[in-house]
Formats: sequence, C-alpha cells, structure tokens
Amino acid sequence: MNGKPKIGVYVCHCGTNIAGTVNVEEVRDFAASLPDVVVARNYSYMCSDPGQALITEDIKNYGLNRVVVASCSPRMHEPTFRKTLESGGLNPFYLEMANIREQCSWVHEDPIAATEKAKRLLEAAVVKARNLEALEQKEVDVEPSCLIIGGGIAGIQAALDIADAGFKVYLVEKSPTIGGHMAQLDKTFPTLDCSACILTPKMVDVANHPNIELMTYSQVEEITGYIGNFNVKVRKKARFVDMDKCTGCGDCAEACRLAGRIPNEFDEGIGMRGAIYLPFPQAVPAKYTIDKENCLFLAKGKCGETPKCQEVCQAGAINFEQQDEIVEFKVGTIIVATGYDVFDARKKPEYGYGIYDNVLTALEFERLVNASGPTGGKIVMLERGKKKKKKEEEAEAPKVPKSITFIQCVGSRDKSVGNEYCSRVCCMYTAKLAHLVKDKIPDCEVTIFYMDVRAFGKGFEEFYDRVRREGVRYIRGNPSEIFRRGDKLVVKAEDTLTATPLEHETDMVVLSVGLVPRSDNREIIDILKLSQSSDLFYLEAHPKLRPVDTASDGIFLAGVCQGPKDIPDAVAQAKGAASAAMIPMAKGKVKVEAQTSVVNEETCRGCGFCVELCPFTAIELVEVNRQGWPVKVARVNEALCKGCGACVAACLSGSIQQRSFKDNQLLPQIKVLGVK
Amino acid sequence: MVDVSKLRETAREIISREDVRELIGYRAGTYGFRARPAFVYDPGEVDQLIFNPACVNNLATYITLEEKLPVPRGQEPDLRKVAVMVKGCDSRALVQQMAENAYERDRILVIGIPCTGVVDMDKVQARFPDVLGPGEISLEGDKFVLIFDGRREEIPKEELLADKCKRCRFPTPLVYDVLLDEEVAPFATDDYSDVEALESRSQDEKWAYWEEKFSRCIRCYSCRNVCPMCYCNDCILDRLRPQWIRRSVDISENTAFHIARAYHLAGRCIQCGECQRVCPVEIPLMELNRKLYKDVEELYDFEPGVKVDAPPLLSSYRPDDPEDFIL
Repeated sequence: MNGKPKIGVYVCHCGTNIAGTVNVEEVRDFAASLPDVVVARNYSYMCSDPGQALITEDIKNYGLNRVVVASCSPRMHEPTFRKTLESGGLNPFYLEMANIREQCSWVHEDPIAATEKAKRLLEAAVVKARNLEALEQKEVDVEPSCLIIGGGIAGIQAALDIADAGFKVYLVEKSPTIGGHMAQLDKTFPTLDCSACILTPKMVDVANHPNIELMTYSQVEEITGYIGNFNVKVRKKARFVDMDKCTGCGDCAEACRLAGRIPNEFDEGIGMRGAIYLPFPQAVPAKYTIDKENCLFLAKGKCGETPKCQEVCQAGAINFEQQDEIVEFKVGTIIVATGYDVFDARKKPEYGYGIYDNVLTALEFERLVNASGPTGGKIVMLERGKKKKKKEEEAEAPKVPKSITFIQCVGSRDKSVGNEYCSRVCCMYTAKLAHLVKDKIPDCEVTIFYMDVRAFGKGFEEFYDRVRREGVRYIRGNPSEIFRRGDKLVVKAEDTLTATPLEHETDMVVLSVGLVPRSDNREIIDILKLSQSSDLFYLEAHPKLRPVDTASDGIFLAGVCQGPKDIPDAVAQAKGAASAAMIPMAKGKVKVEAQTSVVNEETCRGCGFCVELCPFTAIELVEVNRQGWPVKVARVNEALCKGCGACVAACLSGSIQQRSFKDNQLLPQIKVLGVK
Repeated sequence: MVDVSKLRETAREIISREDVRELIGYRAGTYGFRARPAFVYDPGEVDQLIFNPACVNNLATYITLEEKLPVPRGQEPDLRKVAVMVKGCDSRALVQQMAENAYERDRILVIGIPCTGVVDMDKVQARFPDVLGPGEISLEGDKFVLIFDGRREEIPKEELLADKCKRCRFPTPLVYDVLLDEEVAPFATDDYSDVEALESRSQDEKWAYWEEKFSRCIRCYSCRNVCPMCYCNDCILDRLRPQWIRRSVDISENTAFHIARAYHLAGRCIQCGECQRVCPVEIPLMELNRKLYKDVEELYDFEPGVKVDAPPLLSSYRPDDPEDFIL
C-alpha cells in the first residue's frame, strides 16, 4: 500500500451504449461522494486517447494511487486501461473496473433502476480498489522449439513453417506414416488437383528438414510445464523394424504369410495388407512396420520355422526384440493438430451400412476411385467379407455399377446422433466424387440426396454448377431407409421440392459421412487439459479473435481438431497457429499471469485438493519444515498459474488466496452488493 | 465382544515397540457408565484400557488434533507411530484422513475393533438418571447388561443402541494392522428414511425447523473440535482478517456457521456422529450431514472414507459429472 488510498473514478458513456440508459452524471456525483475518492469524471469514450489522457493527467495532478473505470467488460478494455495506468506511472494492477455496460445498461430498460445498479457496481469497485495491491508481472524464457501433435496436413504445414523460420520442431504422429486423411483422398475440390501430388512433396520435405525431428508410430504420454518450458514425454512404439536398416524394399511385405489378409486401415478396409506393411507406397518415413496384434510370431509366438519377413530381409532390419522407447525433450510451444474421425455410419442403421456390401462411406469410396487405391482407381461393385477366390476362378471381372447414389449429411446436422453442426466439406466432396464417377463411367447414373447444398467457398458454387451440368441428379430429400430388392438397393425418400414420395433403385450407395472429433480426443485433453466446445471439438480461446489459441498460453490448435474445415482452411489455420507459436519463440521471453494464487504455507494442511483440481497442473505438494516438523504444503508455480481461482474455492482452510481477488478485497464488495 | 485381557496384552506389545510413541484407547470414565479416551505412553499403563459398548468416542480425532509443539533447536521431531483403537465407523475417519494426506499410512498403527454396536449415553441416562458410582455395560446376545450399585439390569439392545449403529454398514474396521476379534458381519442397512422425511417438508417448514435449532447454538465449536475431519491448523472461523463469521451469537451468524460447517464436510463426513453426540444444546447436526451425504452419493456415486485408494470427492472430476443443480 502506498499511503492512504486516493481513488480516481471515471464513468464512461460509451456513446449512448451506457449513457442511453444510465444517468452517468448522477453516477459520477455519487462516486465523488464516496470515501477516498479524490476525483470523479464522466466522458463519452474513456478508451479513446483523450479519455485515457484524463486518467494520466489526474494521476499526475491529484497523486492518484487507485483508478476505477466504470465502463464495459474487463474482457474488452482491461488491458487498455492497465496500459494507461502504466504510462501514468502507476502499477497497472491498481486498476479496478465496474462493468456498467454488459452487466447493466445493455440488459436493463428502466433508467432509474439501471442508474441505481450502476452506482452499486461502482461502489463495489471502489471498495475493492482501496485494498488492491501492486503486482509484478514476471517474465520467463522461451525454449525455441515447438511440439506438433498430429502429422496430417495441418501438422505438416505448421511444422514446415516453424522449421523454415529456424526453430526446432518435434512432429509426433500416432500412425506409422504422416499424411493423415489428406493422403487417402483422390482429388481435391473444387480445383481437382490430385491430393497426393500436392501432399507427398510436403511429406518428403518434413522428413528431410534439418529442423524437424519426425516421430511416427509415437504417442505423447505426458506434458508438464508451461509456456516456454514444456517437458514432453513421447512413447515411440516398437515397430519391430530397425528404422536405420530398413530400405523400404518391400520384400518382407510380399513374403509375409498374412500378406493380403488383414484389412488395411489406410484403404479403409477395402484393400488388404500383411502383418508387416507400409500403409501406402508414398508413406513417410518409407519404413515398414509390424502390427503386433496380427503378426503370427508376435501374437502367437510361432510363424513357421522362421518368420518369413526375417528370412527375406537382406538388410537384417527385422527385430522382434524391439521395445517401446520413451523420449523426453523440452519445447517452448505446442500445436495440437490431431484431426478427426469420420462419422461411424453404423449409428444410422436405417442406411444399412455394414449390412449391404455396396453401401459405402465416402472415405471408402475415396479409396475406390483413387488410382493408388486397392482397385487401381476402378469403380467396381464390392463383395465384402468373401474369401479370396482361387486364381482360376478370379477371371470373372468385378461388376461395374450402373448407378450410384450419394446421401449427404450422414452424421451431420442431425440431432438424433448428437451432431448438430454442419461438417462443411461433405457437400463439396460429394460433388467432387460425383464428378469423378461421371469421369470414369460416363453412362453411370449419379443421384445425390441432399438437405441443402452449401457451396460457400472460393470456386465452390461454380464447381457445384459444373457437376449439375454434367448430368448429376440432385434430389432434395433426406432418405428414410435403404433396403435390398433383388440385386438392387432401394433408397426410400421424399422429394421435398415436389412433395413426392419415391423409391430410387441403385447399384451402390455412398454415404457422405460428416467429420467428428477423434474417439481418442480424451487422451490429449487429459494430457494438456484442453477444453471442448459443445460439439466436442477442441475449444479455441475466442471464436473470433483468438481462433488458434487455447485457454492455456503456448498451446495452439490447427486443423479439424478444432472444428470441421476443408484443406485450405486447415492449412490457413495451421499457418496461423505456426505464426502464433513463433511469436513467443521469436521474442524469447513471455510475460506470465500476475493475478496468480498464493499459498499461506503456515496454515496449509497439505490435503492436496488444489493439486488435483488445478487445470494447469500449477500446484504441487512440497515438504517444508514447520517448527521442526516435516509437513507437506501446496506450492504454486507462478509461471503456470492462470489465475482461474479453482484452488481458492476448494481450499477448506482458506489458505490459498488469489492476488487481486483476496478475501479482504472481495468481502467489502459483497457487503456493498448485498441486501442493505 | 472384545476380550479385555487380549486387548491389554496386544496394547502392551504395541506400546513396547521401539517405533511406537503413543497408544490411544479407552478407559473407564470418572462416573457412571461412561468411558473416556486413554493416552498410553508406557507398558505399565495398559491395564487401565477397556472396550465395551460405552466406548463411544471416535479416537481418530486425536491423531489430527494433537498439537505439534515447536521442536527445540538441536532436537529431532518424534516421528514414531501413533497406535489407535478404532471401531468400524471410526476407521472410516482414518481412511478419509489418509485420502486427504493428513498423514501417511505408516505413521499410524491401527488396532481394529470389530464392533457390535455402542450405546447412546443419552438413552442410558434417561433410563438410569442418577448413577454416579462406577457402572459397567456389556452386550450379551440381544441385550445390554448394566451393572451398577449392586444391581444388574438387562435392557433389549434396540432400546439403548445408538442411532448410528442401527444403520451401520461397516461394523468391522476397513483399515487395521491388528484385529482384536473375529470380523463382524454387517447387521444393518441404511435406507435414509430420516433424510427423506426432512426433504419432504416445505421450504418454510425446513427454515422454521432449522431456525429454532440454530438459534439454540452457543457457538462453543464442540462439534468442530470433536470432528475427525475438521483439522485445519488455522480454522477460517477463528480468523479476524478477514472475518468470515462474526463472533456474536445470533441467528444470522449461527446459521452462517452451520452452513459453512456442513458444506466443509460435504463428501468428507464419514457419519461417526460425534458432532451431534457432543452438542450441549442438542442440535441434530447429523441431519444436515446425512442430507449432504445422501446427495453426494446420489449425484456422484461417492462415499467418503470407504475405499482406501479413492481420491477425495472435491479433487476428482469427471466430464459427465451432473451439474443441473447449478443455476
């Protein structure tokens, strides 16, 4: 405390936002009558330059040591006025704001009652301001490196940008290769460039970049620390292939006794692989991996006399003794780019996915039309679950569908499956797939059932128009059922434009499934304590102004893990996240929250409730000597603390207090605001 | 029933151990049937120890209540174990205290008493008001046998049994190092009918009821002091800056105190009933505690002091925790 409080009060009109409802002169006069208030003013826009100058002048002329601004929410202008105090030579934490806009003028109509409320809110701010303390905003060094979780297009782009800027990048990918979902796609809308052709060069760049350490088939196990100083623990899963020796020749995969018998995840189960495999030819790294759940030798302990792969590998790269490896390193920032799952079409049983062979998800169809897919890009009728026929019988060529029907919004905009949101890509990828069908089988009849077509992006509407001109039939209606009649599938729907119920016969149905949060989302949430929005995607710090930040400093989001988006949007967000992550790394130092919690170690009983509750893992129990006795007490890491106050509320002995929200600052407020 | 000679023999062995500093048990009280806590430091003192249905106190309280005096310079703190006798209900206090890091498991040595029920001293008092000389209570089958002034009275168990024992689900201690007798199978269940009766009243009725109870409170803080879960070094009730609750005894401050007390025990009270037992003005504190206990169990499927390795309620969180009670 620097002497007796001398408080300056500033009541903002905010144009007519506040002054239109609240009698600001009356509030100012009331403020002037309060004890310790030296000066009270009202002004049209306190946040403007002249408004702020009023404050700095008064600090000089009246020797103010506390400032109360009654205006908008502190979310809006607290940083502004803190800077004002600082430039006036006062500690910025001697500021208190009374929110008389969002919490008063905007929500009330009666001017008399609103003015009374504004006075109360202001008085509460004044009594709190009396007991405010000066706080010091500390700085910590930032490790010039970044962890990127997820090696899809978003993770790849962010990694390349940051590495090109000269910072170290650790890119951790769960599956054996980077590339993510984009690597599975054939063409991209609306320009129809080949997905692999634009992606794989970037994948190779990642592998060759001197600043990128790529860890595939790896998982983040634990992250502790805070912005600038995160400690990361990564588990590199055993792939049973020596990465240094494997040349990627592929002899092992051909030799594997299970070759062609295990559904390949990369081909969405339409294509097959062996127990030792490369997900797809351009995989990065181009190193083979043994899947230990299926490998006969690893799962059953026996694979003939000697495992075939080991027999044929000339490099001697197969190593069944390999163990998981734990790697630890430090980073300054983290980008989460974990991507998505596609909606599980089994949750819409009326569409018969999983029952009828030729009801496909769009991602399966994507593999079917893909030149590097299991059919070499030929669209053929599927016979799932049938054992491979002997060679001579195989001569019978698979049938080509004469009609293909797409159903949009499967698992999107559908409250019955809990997904209210639009997945933003399905309309356009459906149009793209329809175009590809027309391209490959010109006489194939293509029908699309839709609710609305959302063609909002650059070149989208033009593309949609082009596809319709190619003879693709759009029917507005949400099908109710798919069943089999003879060797045809029947889609039952209503054409809602003509109010005609119809039964549409077709050979193949493609379900345009939406994008959903990854089923293993929780792993990352538990490690990083991220929040989720109501759609269960990761929550950004602000929907408009901080779309790549999270509530935790130094942790950023990129790509679909934050919400459905197409490739250009994912890339744009990745570049945004990369530049956001580079700001603290380039500065080399970051300011940390000053309104942190502080523990009274004399009264703390060491129960540890706060330790478990802290969403930022900022509190730990440490042993201290209390008058000769070893006791455990909580201790706050001030660099980690974000000042959320959860610990303060949980502490039964009242031993944790949050700076600027201490009991002696809040209780007078409650007294003023309480019933008189 | 616990055999007293076995109890004393066990106690003698334990207090003779190098690594045990103190043994907390029961001894006969100064008058009537009452028993009181005994603090034993020396093998010579064990012959005063008893256990009978008058041993109502929850001794777990004394582990955390003990004041840790400053250790003189040049001396080491005495970190030897404290041995404590606990009934089934009392043992839950130990479990909860350890869940809250009050001390490590190896700091205590638990002498478990499988318990068949204790008396409610108020009920005994009402029945035999003027017994000042020494008296003895024991349980024989389904009768309490009271011997005093050369008389022997047999009273059906139900009539003198403490209310908490009538719904006891844990007669055998949940944590112990030595068990003094065979395990006792649970003989009662808890249907919360008393809490439901309270819940069914209107808001006005409830307020009138509690207003009358709280207005009696003299703020002696006995309930807090005896509670095994109230062991902060510095209770917020005692603080002056800031002063959460004024010291005046009036309905406003009394109510604030009782609300704070009850809420500080939410998810922590293990229903030993000591608070209500010691209340000199007979405020039914367990009704508040049991209401919160029931709510916690229903909302979070959580019971304090039952599982040794379960994290405390206040520090465990699940994304699907119910929150519809939040306004």
